This record gives sequence, C-alpha cells and structure tokens, in this order.
Amino acid sequence: MSDIYSIVTSRQLSYEQKVVALAHAAEDTLQVLNIPEQTRRYMEQGVICNLNEGNAPYRPRYIMPDYAKAVRQGVKFLELDPPQDLDELLTFLQVLYRHVPSITTYPVFLGDLDQLIEPFIDGLSDEVVKKKLRNFFIYLDRTITDSFCHANLGPKDTRAGRLILDVDRQLEQAVPNLTLKYDPAQTPDEFAEQAILTSLCVANPAICNDVLNSRTYDRYGISSCYNILPIGGGSYTLTRLVLPRLAQMTEDKEQFLRQLLPDAMRCMADYMSERICFIVEKSGFFESHFLATEGLVERDRFVAMFGLVGLAEAANHFAPGKKYGTDPEADEVAEQIMEVISGFAAQYECPYCEIANHRLLLHAQVGIDTDHGITSGIRIPVGDEPASIYDHLRHSSRFHRYIPTGCSDILPFDITGKQNPAAVLDIVKGAFQLGQKYIAFYASDSDLVRITGYLVKRSEIEKWNSGQAVLQNTTQLGAPTYASAHLANRKVRGV
Amino acid sequence: MGYRRKVRIRKIISQSTVDGPGNRFAIFLQGCNIRCLYCHNPETQAMEDAEAQEMTTEELIEAIRPCVPFLRGVTVSGGECMLQAEQLTELFRAVKALAAEMHHPLTCLLDSNGTIAFSRYPELMQACDGVMLDVKAWDETVYEQLTGAKTNSTVRENVRWLLEHDLLEEVRIVCLPGRVDVETILQNIAEIFDSIGKTSPIRLLRFRPHGVIGELENAPMPTDEQMAQLSELAARYGLQTTIR
Ligand code: SF4
Repeated sequence: MSDIYSIVTSRQLSYEQKVVALAHAAEDTLQVLNIPEQTRRYMEQGVICNLNEGNAPYRPRYIMPDYAKAVRQGVKFLELDPPQDLDELLTFLQVLYRHVPSITTYPVFLGDLDQLIEPFIDGLSDEVVKKKLRNFFIYLDRTITDSFCHANLGPKDTRAGRLILDVDRQLEQAVPNLTLKYDPAQTPDEFAEQAILTSLCVANPAICNDVLNSRTYDRYGISSCYNILPIGGGSYTLTRLVLPRLAQMTEDKEQFLRQLLPDAMRCMADYMSERICFIVEKSGFFESHFLATEGLVERDRFVAMFGLVGLAEAANHFAPGKKYGTDPEADEVAEQIMEVISGFAAQYECPYCEIANHRLLLHAQVGIDTDHGITSGIRIPVGDEPASIYDHLRHSSRFHRYIPTGCSDILPFDITGKQNPAAVLDIVKGAFQLGQKYIAFYASDSDLVRITGYLVKRSEIEKWNSGQAVLQNTTQLGAPTYASAHLANRKVRGV
Repeated sequence: MGYRRKVRIRKIISQSTVDGPGNRFAIFLQGCNIRCLYCHNPETQAMEDAEAQEMTTEELIEAIRPCVPFLRGVTVSGGECMLQAEQLTELFRAVKALAAEMHHPLTCLLDSNGTIAFSRYPELMQACDGVMLDVKAWDETVYEQLTGAKTNSTVRENVRWLLEHDLLEEVRIVCLPGRVDVETILQNIAEIFDSIGKTSPIRLLRFRPHGVIGELENAPMPTDEQMAQLSELAARYGLQTTIR
C-alpha cells in the first residue's frame, strides 16, 4: 500500500511511468505462480532473477509482430486497411507500434524497416523520402521513450536501407536502435561500409551475423537488447541465472558443476515453464489479443529465453588469480560451465516452445543497472580485454556458439576508423567467419554510446547526473551503469 | 618450411587502416636511403638501430597467421622497403602460400619512396599486388631540398613502369605549401596517365608535424581550404584524389 502511495505521489516519475508502475504493483499483488521453496530461496539470493517480469504475466515479454503480413492484410481490430503509399504506410506503422504490448509497454521490435518501406518509395525522390523518414523517426524517438526498441535492416542492399542510414546519421538519436543483418553473399561491401560509417558516427546500427543467426529459426528479427527471436512470435519470458552469485556458494568447482548449477537451472527452468503455462493457459492473451487473433503472431512461434549473466566472474572464481578473456585456465572453466548449461538446455522439456523443439534457448543477458561487479552475459570484463582485438573477437566467437537468442560484443573504435570503414568491415568479416554472432561499435568520440546494449547520449547522462529531467527512460538506467560498469574504460580499438 | 631469409624490422602492426585498402598487417622495415625533412619516423632512417630486429620470413608468417581472417592483406613499408627487395620476394610468396592454405585471399603491397627501380626485381613484382608510391616532388631541385637526394629520375620512371604493369596502387603526395611542388607533380602525373591510357588513385596527404624533427618540426599544417584547392586542381587534370 505504501509502495503504491509513493508511486502516486512521486515527483521523479513521469505520468506515464506512474501508470506503468501502478500496473506493475497491481500485478504483483497476485500470487498465481507455483514457486517451490528452493526456487524462492534462489530468487531471494539473487541467483535466479526474473528481471521484474511481474507475478502474473498477461502478455509475452517480447513480441515480434509479422509487420510484413500486417501491411499486406491490414489490421481489422485497428480499422487499418493495407497502406497504399508511403504516408499511409508510416501512419499505419505508427498506429500499430502503439498497440504492440511488451514488458516495457513500448514495442521492442519495429520490423525489417527497409523491406517494409522499399516497395513504397518508387517514384519518390531521395529528399522527399528522407523528409518523411525524419518525421517518422522523430515521432518514434519522442514517443517510444525507451531505447530497448529495435528496427532491422538488410541483409539485402535497398534504397530504403541507405536512406534510413542517412537519416539516422543526421538525427543522432537513441531510438530506434538499428541492426544490419549482414551476409557477405547478399550484402554488398558498399552498403555494409555505409552502415559501419554511420555506426562510427552515431553508434548505430549494430551488425548481426545473418549467416549464423538464420540457422536458429526460419525468419528472425533482432529486438530490444540484441534478442534474436522468431518473427511472428517472440519470447514468453526471459529469466536469468546470475552465475557469480551461485558460484560464491562454493569453492569446489566440481560441486558447482555437478550439484549447484544443475539444481539452480532446474529451479529456473521450472519457474519459466510455470510462467509460460500461465501466459498460454490462463492469461487469455492468445485468445483475445488482436495480434494473435489476426495471425500477426502465432502461439507456436514463441520461445523461452534462458538468460545467463556474469560468466566471466563465475569462471574467475574457480580459477583464482586468472582472468577470463586472457588466461586459458579461466576460459577453460568458462567452457566447462557453458557445456553443463547447454547440456541442460538441450534436454529440458519446455512447454509450448514448438519452434525451439520444446527446448529452452540460451541468452547472454546484458545486465541491469543494479548489477555491480557482474559482467554482461559472456562478455570479457571491462579492463580485462585482450591487447589484440583479434584475440578478443576469437574469444567471443568461442563462447557465442553456445547462445542462440542473442549475445553481442561492444567495441569502441578509435575515430580514425571513420576514414576507413572498409577496414572495420574486414574485421567484422573475420569475426563472423570465426563464429561471432553480433558486433556493435561506436567511435570513442561519439555522443551516443552503447551501455549494455541500448543507446544513450553522453550529454543526456550528464544532464541526468546534474539533476535535470530527461526524456528517455534508458538514460536513467544508463547513467549509473555507465559509471558503475566503468564503460568509459572499455578498451578503445585503434584502427 | 624453410623460409629463412631475414628482414630488418623496425616494428610490426597487426591492425592498420592507413597502409592501403582495408585492414592490413603492416611491416615497417629499418633503413632508408633518403632524408625527407618531413619524415614522421626519422628513427627508421638509419640502416642499423638498437631498436630494430631481424626476423625470418618464417617468424613473420607465424605472426601474420593468427590475424589472417581479419586481414585484407600485408603491407611492407619503411624506412624504404626496396632496400631489402631481395628478401621480400620470399616473404610475399610465403604470404600467398599462407593465404592459399587458409582459403583467405591476401594482397601484398609495398609502400615505397620509389628511389629504386622496380623493374630490377621482376620476381618480387610478380608476387606483389601493387605499390603505394610516394612522389615527394617533381622538380629535381625541390626534390633535393626536401630529401637530400640528387635526383628523382628513378621515381619518375617508376610511376610509368608501375602504371604500365598495373601495379600502381596509389600515388601519395605529402602536401606542404612552399616546400612541395604539388601542382607540378599533378600536372606531370596526369600527362603520364594520359600517355599510357591508365590511371591510379592519388592520395593527398596533409603534412603533419607529428614525429618530425629538425627544420620542419614547427611548420604549420595545410588548411582545409588549401587541401580542397589542390584536390580541385587535380580534378582539372582529370585526376581522382582523396585527402587524408
Ligand atoms: S622516404 Fe620515408 S622513411 Fe625515408 S626519410 Fe622519407 S619519409 Fe622518412
């Protein structure tokens, strides 16, 4: 009650933030999930963390509507006919985005934007298209005030894709996040280089290994913080295992690998299953929401993301004095941990996850603002990066192979990279060939920086730190993380 | 493998974006035969230096090997790389063998001051994919004042020879108003391009005092306008330039 009162009377929360917090508080008054004692204990210890998903899930966490299908068939519930020209398309999308539920209440996926737009720009000049896209992007940035929101480009080169990159570079804003799906066989170097140059100017787009990620599902998209999910579906839930907190419970690696880890994973998996069953069987989402009833998402295209965080610290715990990322002993321990985890995921039967063959899918969770001393997913801690960028990327590739639903590295590049995006592309090609799945970078002098995955403006962080109000929710998350995770000390890669 | 030739090296950089197209492994050799006033790396000029070291082709190949997936190629620079031309043939052949072994194409480029005739080393030029050629001045007096070398006739011949053999990767001109006869260089290069009917990209490098010692250590950098003017002038001769 006092919680709710403090939400209602808060001076720090905006009106919209209050509404969301109140909904959350209401949801949390329910106790509808069966959570065994041991699982509760793990949750209290912070070993299993549900990332504030709420006690009674009434929608999947991440929803990836099939926008192409919506554009083809219209949306009856919203009284939207199939758009006939670019203006109609952009209005159509704005309206539809507004009605896509998610954990943040904002849409986390905006679709393959270049492919959606391309058929509507024939006969329009670049200038005309760019002006419309500018307005569209400004609308998105100012109304989706949370940068866990993602649009995709590529892998094919399109005029729309190039114009989107142009506009993105001019606007320098945090929303939408963009990712280029890159496949050397389909994406011409010139288009990829334009994307990289844009990224070195405005930290956007990130580059995703289309060849490897296409193997996970028939059609995938990138949403939120680098979640790789099926289009026309999404993810019911993302719960994470905070590995260092579990590792702290013992000094004995064998006990960790054979007892603690399997026990915690079993508890977490059962908890996720419980959530999934509630969404599917009780919440009514799939029977009543228009996205489901009109076929823009299909129930059997949803997965369950089994999140991991802090592999580095867990490995270092069992390899005293050694460092994950540079010492083979620590990397070896990390590999043993990953083998146990992926072995578990491969045999656990998860309900309602047809597209994943009824299996849990691993996810390298990027962390939250209250994590201290816990490195994102399977990344190397800031400050421990290998001296050579090649060794860094080779290391990532070794661990990315375990993770189907999203893992990434973020590399700040020296500003000279701007003069030779082709060289950065060579590095990306090499990394992807070795098995790296996803790379994001920004130039060391850029105002926009990537925090754990989302973008924040350094200038906005300064504003927030000096006590001023800021529009983006993610600035509030990013400001403490930028400081506590020492992101300013990320190893800058000279090119 | 038996790659035993030795090269005198000043340093190696496994990731360079300024030594030719794409991301390259750059090898800087010790020793130069001229003395440019604007030299950024005067420590590489002496033929011997305590910080230089000998490396065999084999050692170099093993240093390149782990970088291969990320590379577009290898560039040998200096000092003056052609002073060790004999040894480089083996290196370039070994790089090509490495590329074949790893199924990853690699180009081999030379970055040279052009004082030694490439035509004298046909085997090396067969293994080499191109030369980035410094044309420091066209007029002999200007050249001598800038480099201490009596003549640049070989440099001029090299422009022609490399172009004819499709090996002129790019022409580099360091622009320093009052010291370098950029206009004359551009005009003469354009004439050679016309007479042969081929072209090559021209890179106009802005003089930077970084690392320079002696007379020019405080010389001002050319302004953006001066660089733009030179680029326009080049365009009038029909030359494609990039500025750095
Ligand atoms: S040719 Fe190059 S290394 Fe030799 S003196 Fe001139 S600038 Fe220096």
